[in-house]
Amino acid sequence: MNQLKGNNPGRRTILVCCGTGCLANGSAAVYEALCDALKGNDKFEVETLAKATGCNGLCEKGPLVKILPDDITYCKVKAEDVPEIVEKTLQQGELVQRLLFRDPATKKYYKSHHETNFYKKQHKLALRNIGEIDPSSVQDYLDRDGYQALEKAVKRMSPAEVIEEVLKSGLRGRGGGGFPTGLKWKACAAVDNPPRYVICNGDEGDPGAFMDRSILEGDPHTVIEGMIICAYAISASKGFIYVRDEYDLAVKNLTKAIENARERGYLGKNILDSELSFDIELVRGGGAFVCGEETALINSIQGNVGEPWDKYVYPAEKGLWGQPTVINNVETWANIPVIINDGAAKFASIGTEGSKGTKVFSLVGKVVNTGLVEVPMGTTLREIIFDIGGGIQKGRQFKAVQTGGPSGGCIPESLLDLPVDFDTLTQAGSMMGSGGMIVMDDRTCMVEVARYYVNFLAEESCGKCVPCREGISFLLETLTRICEGKGKLEDLDLLESMSCTIQQAALCALGRTAPNPVLSTLKYFRDEYLEHINNHRCPAGICKELTEFYVDEKLCTGCGRCRRNCPADAITGEKKKAHTIDPEKCIKCGECIDNCKFQAVKVK
Amino acid sequence: MKVTIDGKKIEAKLGETILEAAVRAGVEIPNLCYIEAFGGQGVCRMCMVEVKDGEQKRLVASCTYPITGEIEVQTNTPELQEIRRNIITLLYRRAPNSDFMKKLYQEYVCPAVEVVDPAEKCIMCRLCVKACEKVGAFAISTIMRGTEKRVATPFDEASPSCIGCGACAEICPTGAITVKEENGKQEIWHKSFEMSRCEICGNYYSTLPVKEHVKEQLDNEVSGENLCPSCRRKKLAGDLAKFSIK
Repeated sequence: MNQLKGNNPGRRTILVCCGTGCLANGSAAVYEALCDALKGNDKFEVETLAKATGCNGLCEKGPLVKILPDDITYCKVKAEDVPEIVEKTLQQGELVQRLLFRDPATKKYYKSHHETNFYKKQHKLALRNIGEIDPSSVQDYLDRDGYQALEKAVKRMSPAEVIEEVLKSGLRGRGGGGFPTGLKWKACAAVDNPPRYVICNGDEGDPGAFMDRSILEGDPHTVIEGMIICAYAISASKGFIYVRDEYDLAVKNLTKAIENARERGYLGKNILDSELSFDIELVRGGGAFVCGEETALINSIQGNVGEPWDKYVYPAEKGLWGQPTVINNVETWANIPVIINDGAAKFASIGTEGSKGTKVFSLVGKVVNTGLVEVPMGTTLREIIFDIGGGIQKGRQFKAVQTGGPSGGCIPESLLDLPVDFDTLTQAGSMMGSGGMIVMDDRTCMVEVARYYVNFLAEESCGKCVPCREGISFLLETLTRICEGKGKLEDLDLLESMSCTIQQAALCALGRTAPNPVLSTLKYFRDEYLEHINNHRCPAGICKELTEFYVDEKLCTGCGRCRRNCPADAITGEKKKAHTIDPEKCIKCGECIDNCKFQAVKVK
Repeated sequence: MKVTIDGKKIEAKLGETILEAAVRAGVEIPNLCYIEAFGGQGVCRMCMVEVKDGEQKRLVASCTYPITGEIEVQTNTPELQEIRRNIITLLYRRAPNSDFMKKLYQEYVCPAVEVVDPAEKCIMCRLCVKACEKVGAFAISTIMRGTEKRVATPFDEASPSCIGCGACAEICPTGAITVKEENGKQEIWHKSFEMSRCEICGNYYSTLPVKEHVKEQLDNEVSGENLCPSCRRKKLAGDLAKFSIK
């Protein structure tokens, strides 16, 4: 089994997930408790070792603890659980059932996470090592074929062959643009104007997205290896990894990984005794969303304001300091060693006609299993949300899924069987983006959703060009008015016309995609806009000025749950009798409707 | 190489922008942030045009799009007209206090919008920032981001780099930058400057730091440095007249 590779079978390894999600839930304490418990303990039959790993993806159930080679996964482990795990599992070989993954639908327990629906449908390429290795250990990476691809490229392939392999793999940029990676490399190599530069774009800024963070934290060497292979292919001597400064752990792990790679001779002069000399510098970003746009990122590295420029000449020709530059996203880099090691044909056998390989998504929102998933391109939205994600929380109805970050579109239920790839999502009025996937239920107001994302973009636009800066400000003002019940029917035409102008005339991709949330909700959920404007009503019960809750007497069982949860004491009623809501006192927080198990609370 | 702009065939140089070629050929493309000496900024997007390169058609900013092949350009399609009308609407909504924008708003027959700040005049074309850079002062720049972006000195305080030349105010199309001149003092960007008097007419004509700056830029080879532009012109005319008599 692949996941056991690199972990000595004669030894028992306990992997504690120390990704950001699990760390926030106390996994550092679990790891320390385990290390303490193992120290000087001679009651084990085999040598036992604890390791802190990167993110396993199933953040919902963290902190996760995996035991190899037994292939046991424990969920929501606390430091207090450690003595029991040590005694029962490590010493007596028994399972601690209460810590196993339990399927909420079937109530079945699973010994290994591999057996669960969340992991079964996944195909890990970019995330292949994450959760399996200690990211601070270069040896762990080497044990799982680390730097083999580099060795193969440098010793047995010509630079042109490397580019050809990446071209043949069909790999497209995972940062959102979807530009064929091989073409980018080829174009850059063809410009006879050294020096050439290699950049890793790690300025992940979408709300709710953490794919790149996870890779940088959990497997930094794969990104470094990918970049060195590119440097060999295009004859670059210098590389930069641009990472958000807020990604503390990523910065720490990358810094160490770069140092270790230098010590082992993978970075520096005459790498693996070849002609190639290449080094990488870490650049910490200041947190501007727009710096994820490649020309703004390049400006930022150069010490300028993070503003994009018109890309009529690609960075591959004129990029960093005006020199030919290959800039790829973290996830793209993580795929490179796989392509070189396993060959382009194998990579290209995964995915759809136009989009090869896999894609990592951060599946968040009102879905049961939130977390990081990697699936073959072409997997349907339904499979991702319902099979892997386990459906909608609290048994509510699915309403929409937003893909591609704040400037992605909202896709309705009728398109759930859409196979996800770069082209289908664009056709549906959304985009792949870097892989954010936010699931929304029937308690979501689509007008408010559009307003929320436009508000984010109003703050994060760089403000350079008029359509983006002023256009978004206009969209925000209009959407806010509609949410407050002051919308007019003419607003919709102007919203559409302005959105169209922003799409056509804005300078960079941030601006050109910014109207997506507006246009897609206008397209698929126009009736909600009309309800807000014509009937002064928010059907989802979210926009406070337009919402009034009431209790359906026929459905109310008088359980009192709404009354107890109401923070405004607006609900009265006797036990087992229908309750009533006082609209004067109600603050429209929605606690009652969210907590009612009988769907008795309704929106007037 | 030959390019076609609105059906007119013109000769273009490799690498020059569509706007540069159009200006030379006498084809007018609307723009609000372009001045030949500064080059294209790609900021206002009024100069968007449709480019047909082979079979591919797309909209580009003509002030930044470099000509590298034989292309066909349309500068005034209905699609472009809608873009321009929307841009003017947005800029009027932002800067309704500017006569310049009021006029354009009417010219382009724009839809009604609620203005943001009735007192605002600045359209953020950044020509002031460019002018300041060209002068060599680097006293102002854009600050903040997103819808909050504006032009300012660092921390909105008097900038040590500002020489009070007023090039920013001079170039501003909407009169958004105020320059106060009173009793031999000039006030701009939170800073007050002593003015220098003309040796001949006695009028105030320049701030002291501007004189210093010009001297520095010209390696101290400055003649007639204490004359206002009008007196300097007269003096020069007189000097030249002497030449022609001989």
